[in-house]
Amino acid sequence: MLRLPIPPRANWQQKAAEFGFYFHTMYGEPYWDESAYYQFTLRQIEDDLEGPTEVLHQMCLEALDVVIRDERWLAKFAVPEPFWQQIADSWQRRDPSLYSRLDLVYQGQGPAKLLENNADTPTSLYESGFWQWLWLEDQVNQGLISKGADQFNSLQEKLVKRFADIAAHYQIKHMHFACCEDTVEDRGTVQYLQDCAREAGVLNDFVFIEQIGLSESGHFTDLNDHSIETLFKLYPWEFMQREAFADAIPGAGVNWLEPLWKSLLSNKAILPMLWRLFPDHPNLLPAWFEDELPISTAGKLVKKPLYSREGANISVYQGGQPIVQSDGPYGEEGFIYQAWNALPRFADNHTLIGSWLVNDQAAGISVREDKHIITQDMSRYLPHIIL
Amino acid sequence: MEQRKQKRSVSINLASMRKGFAPKPLAVGVATVLLSACGGNRQDADVYTSANDCIEKNPEFAEQCTAAYQQALEEAARTAPKYNNATDCEYDFGQQQCHRVESGGGSFFVPFMAGYMLSNLMSPRGYHSQPLFTSYSPYSPYRYRWTTADGWDYGYYKDRRLKVDKDAFKPKPAVNRTIKRGGFGSTVRAKSSWGSSSKGWGG
Repeated sequence: MLRLPIPPRANWQQKAAEFGFYFHTMYGEPYWDESAYYQFTLRQIEDDLEGPTEVLHQMCLEALDVVIRDERWLAKFAVPEPFWQQIADSWQRRDPSLYSRLDLVYQGQGPAKLLENNADTPTSLYESGFWQWLWLEDQVNQGLISKGADQFNSLQEKLVKRFADIAAHYQIKHMHFACCEDTVEDRGTVQYLQDCAREAGVLNDFVFIEQIGLSESGHFTDLNDHSIETLFKLYPWEFMQREAFADAIPGAGVNWLEPLWKSLLSNKAILPMLWRLFPDHPNLLPAWFEDELPISTAGKLVKKPLYSREGANISVYQGGQPIVQSDGPYGEEGFIYQAWNALPRFADNHTLIGSWLVNDQAAGISVREDKHIITQDMSRYLPHIIL
Repeated sequence: MEQRKQKRSVSINLASMRKGFAPKPLAVGVATVLLSACGGNRQDADVYTSANDCIEKNPEFAEQCTAAYQQALEEAARTAPKYNNATDCEYDFGQQQCHRVESGGGSFFVPFMAGYMLSNLMSPRGYHSQPLFTSYSPYSPYRYRWTTADGWDYGYYKDRRLKVDKDAFKPKPAVNRTIKRGGFGSTVRAKSSWGSSSKGWGG
């Protein structure tokens, strides 16, 4: 695992405009950064990332199976009671899932460690599945990267296939897609998924989350008053479960993407649950619920809200005292603790691996860098190759 | 020697990934139908641009032509994509291709029905009809295509004989009466003092 500098493509901004990549720069700071790339060996990819990603996903499903049958665990996960049965039903039916991203600490050797599972609303999908793929094509054609180079990135291929499978499962030809208003990044991510659905022959419409309506007959509707039969929502389940339309969810008969059961995987409570079920597993970090924290812990601990996004409300504790904290609006539902494991440093950067799954298949990685030890929403995205 | 399996997508259709313009919600889905190969379900359908067009070609079925046309118009009113203003409608369907519809105190814009498809006109068991739309807008994937209200593409608009599967005549999704909007999204508003304009709620 190396970080190597490379000249950016001369015309990449123009190309980004041409392909609709509108969020490569945010707040005047680069988000997409092609001044360098990461290089992995095939063994690092296959043995240390691809294999463990699929194993971790299966472990999460086993944990889910335990949580779903036990109200004490559902309460501990802070799931609103009206959703207990609905989540269990969605799991019993095996409602199909689309995709997830596991965030991993990986040093280039030794086991990768799971930091969290973004199983419900992962972003940075377009830059991973399409944009870094195009970067490699261009740089190989320029002769700046070896023709023998590959990339761990079958995301787009797998997403298209998965949309076709899901359409067949529900016997549908059409899906709705939704995200919040006023976010260029989320809209771009959802547009990418619409493009993949279209490649799979699935018709699609878009509606903003805030615009979704409720009809007399109890269906959710788009702005044309059409019923929403199947909805991909880039909007967290834990928010929807606590909002005005929550009561209408069971009657609306929607095929949800992601399905309800994935809300338990994206919940940080899955981390101590995994540690209970698979103690000392090489790909896990020790983790505890608040009430089972060992009295003395030698190393540093990270305190994370059950629900949080983009590195918000994370604190690092040493000897019971917070030494680093990040701000944010989360935490009212409780916290979990996880043993601190420093991200590897390359130059001045802390580097985080996002490992993608389409349903249960490992489908590629993304690499993000942050100057700060907690990866937040201002981290930069760098492409990678296998050589 | 073992062939090493490529770890990245084998090919990506770059043409289809290009965006001529910023992603905006389209009222109708963007897709081309790949008609299923199940031969048993295929049937012929003829396209007429008006009741008179149908009568001219089938003088002995004037009554059915007129009734089917009326039925298609009603179906079009029920299922056509609806826009809040003429500009958005014309963006998708072309200049002068939309008209205002008054409904319950409000008004909206819909594209004109461009024609209707008919099958089994001569069958004693009754005909099937479906309204069709077409777009003249350079921004629309449906430019010069026959399209149903749910966005299926039935081919070039000069073609008057279509091969369709029997689903083509199924009623399109009913337009619901929405009683309430805005029941999702409040958490984002509450937490948005932490967020910022371009960052989203994914993770």
